[in-house]
Amino acid sequence: MPGIWIYSEDSAVARQLLTAGLELKNAMKQPVAVLTLSGEEAQTFIDAGADKVYVVKGSNPWPESYANAVADLLTKEQAGVLLVGGTMRGKDLAAKVAASLKAGLVTDALRVACAGDGIETTRLVYGGLAVRTETVTLPALVTIPPRTFAEAAVQGTGQGEVVIVEVANDDNRVSVTNVCPIVRQGADIAAADRIVCVGRGLSKKEDLTMVEALAAAVGAEIGCTRGISEDYRWLPNDRYIGISGQKVKPELYIGLGISGQVQHVAGIRDAKVIVAVDSNEKAPIFEAADYGIVGDLYEVVPLLTKAMQK
Amino acid sequence: MQKLLVCYKWVLDEQDIKVTGDLSLDTGRAKYKISDYDKNAVEAGVLLGEQHGVSVEALTFGTAAVKQSLKDALSRGLDKVYWIGDAAAEQADAFVTANILAGAIKKAGPYDLILCGEGSADSYSQQTAPRLATLLGIPAITFVRQLSVADGRVTAIRKLGDCTEEVTVTGPAVISVLPEINKPRIPGLKQVMAAAKKPSEEVKVADLGLAAGELAPKVRSLSVKGYVMDRKKVIFKEANQADNVAKLVASLAQEGLC
Repeated sequence: MPGIWIYSEDSAVARQLLTAGLELKNAMKQPVAVLTLSGEEAQTFIDAGADKVYVVKGSNPWPESYANAVADLLTKEQAGVLLVGGTMRGKDLAAKVAASLKAGLVTDALRVACAGDGIETTRLVYGGLAVRTETVTLPALVTIPPRTFAEAAVQGTGQGEVVIVEVANDDNRVSVTNVCPIVRQGADIAAADRIVCVGRGLSKKEDLTMVEALAAAVGAEIGCTRGISEDYRWLPNDRYIGISGQKVKPELYIGLGISGQVQHVAGIRDAKVIVAVDSNEKAPIFEAADYGIVGDLYEVVPLLTKAMQK
Repeated sequence: MQKLLVCYKWVLDEQDIKVTGDLSLDTGRAKYKISDYDKNAVEAGVLLGEQHGVSVEALTFGTAAVKQSLKDALSRGLDKVYWIGDAAAEQADAFVTANILAGAIKKAGPYDLILCGEGSADSYSQQTAPRLATLLGIPAITFVRQLSVADGRVTAIRKLGDCTEEVTVTGPAVISVLPEINKPRIPGLKQVMAAAKKPSEEVKVADLGLAAGELAPKVRSLSVKGYVMDRKKVIFKEANQADNVAKLVASLAQEGLC
């Protein structure tokens, strides 16, 4: 079956990609199929508009081990487009499938559209400084970050074909053990409504208590820049915001002592309101802020905490 | 374990790139650097090399400018650098890059481990490591935060958003490392001096036996435009911080945020 194919090891992300896939379906006049490792979710994809669902079943449970099988199936079916959920596992698999198919792949596309005999995409480059528009020749692979699209709504007749495909995905060179969920300290900042974020303007770890007081007054989670988590190790890595860390979409983001390197700003650009406090008037964070205070955070934060408590 | 390879990319320093009024990018003042993520890969390779007493080589593909990278790369503890400076790099996508790197690795190898950064600082497409593994027919272990080698087996802890997993590999593999795996060394004067005496070897794309189709990009850039944040940029900068805070809080109240 030529057409538009969707894969994610995460079924919620696959349903988000269906939203993009159904738009391509209208433009390209081709069917949409979902490849899934999760048989019990198959009907949800049909209900959300997929024409066909392939449940891929192998003996190895490691999602990455399905790359060859996915590539073989897509070659056999002469797929035109494969949209892959841009989780870390998804990006790994997509690159392997692209290499097997000798195909182009755009990673972390923010937009995907049919254009002539290819696919047109936009994505961020240079750490978020710029947006690049590209075309990919068919067969084209695109990964799309989770939460870029809303899940496709339940629609239509719920009629569609579910096919079970048995594949060989054993690899005796690799063994996977000790799969541990990451226990987050506090809530997931990617989903937080309000974030107080701290950067290198903070001079010592103990001063985090001052930041915590502001976060409590505002009702916010605490985030940080890469330097705070990776160089100083004052906060866990799942707190750092940026192009290679968490990308956040809060209602309110307050950055403290953050100069605003592009890599960090790329992680906060979807915030509704950005507030910055920094002593350097020329810090690039002020170019990315809705409101800013030029000043020493040690003077400003206690005042702001007090004001926000009222 | 006999031999390790690190791949790195020589990229424009994005901190030096300016977005101009018409949203084009001014790279005139931008210097080049080893991609930050690749510095972690170099460090991971050199640390393993030191622990196990094995040679660590590097491979880089870029435009003619890539030759400038050799001294910095070698001063970080590598034993040798293979470099490919070719105009094809200007338009190369990950498909072309991986084909060229894989061709060069087949020529200079074999290697027990091939290390890459998680992505590059410029395009951050995160494809090179898994593509290379597929082209070389060996496993890829991506997003590695901790790495060790014992009894010919590599054990890697991966970090995958919601979980970590431990992966053990027998035989050669491609590894991509996360920035958190280490803190890259800053070469001292002695290392920089020693780098001048270390070998480097130019590899020509024409000698890699690649077909024309393998050198034709599948992804083509139509435009690159500076990203502009459409923000209010209301900045309070009076000397009296209490006034500034009061104005900020009033603004936030207007936004319905307090």
